[in-house]
Amino acid sequence: MRIKLTSIMVDNQDKALKFYTEIFGFVKKTEIPVGEYRWLTVVSPEGPDDLELSLEPNANPAGKTFQEALFTQGVPIAAFEVGDIAKEFKRLKSLGVAFTQDPTPAGPVTIAVCSDTCGNLIQLYQPPKT
Amino acid sequence: MIVTRSELIRLCRARDLLRETHDARVSIRDAAREAAMSPFHFIRRFHAMFGETPHQVRIQARLDRAKTLLALSDYSVTDVCMEVGFSSLGSFSDLFARRVGAAPSVYRRQVRSIMIVPGMLPAASTPACLTLMAAAFRNFGEADRRAFERS
Repeated sequence: MRIKLTSIMVDNQDKALKFYTEIFGFVKKTEIPVGEYRWLTVVSPEGPDDLELSLEPNANPAGKTFQEALFTQGVPIAAFEVGDIAKEFKRLKSLGVAFTQDPTPAGPVTIAVCSDTCGNLIQLYQPPKT
Repeated sequence: MIVTRSELIRLCRARDLLRETHDARVSIRDAAREAAMSPFHFIRRFHAMFGETPHQVRIQARLDRAKTLLALSDYSVTDVCMEVGFSSLGSFSDLFARRVGAAPSVYRRQVRSIMIVPGMLPAASTPACLTLMAAAFRNFGEADRRAFERS
């Protein structure tokens, strides 16, 4: 058994694809229409290239309630690793991304939290240098 | 931009207010006041957090409520239009058709034709997360599937 797929709920798949590719810099891997939605996945160009992130519509009211509760509480729903958080923070801020936490040391890692504009707070973290 | 904890909560509260479809008179200015921000800062921060303007969120909430009413209620299309705060049937129908992909009366017929339990929205109208993958591959031809597996 392997982990090759993970997912994030988004309030609008068009908006999500735009944000996750143009702002975060991921690359679209799969896009298959299913009714009014799509099976839509992205991968990171920095790898691993076989780990896909599915951008799922959160049309289910239960999912929406969960997602909005976490957002209002300021709780990130996913975390992505970055090599240089100060640089990434500056880059994303210049693209108009809203952060609820600027880069802050937390033990061995440094974390920041931003909105993905699709209903989620995302934690970015820089792992300790080895 | 940095959005503080308190601003985040106020923005979420303003969004809830904008989504209130029963009181169509909530203006963007009212929502900004609820968030304790100037309208300019409110719109900028709102868009950076939610990826949509306050106006877009308000319109979407009205269309979502219209979808529910068309699916579940006996209201006429005109009643639905008024109920969700539109004053012109023509502009409501146009906007609905553009966003939902079918005119209100057509949407009503479609959703009712797949309704299994009366009074409940069919599960098919809200895809259950990763089951989308199964549906996607069912819709997919064998050749395409092989192409995907190679990618």
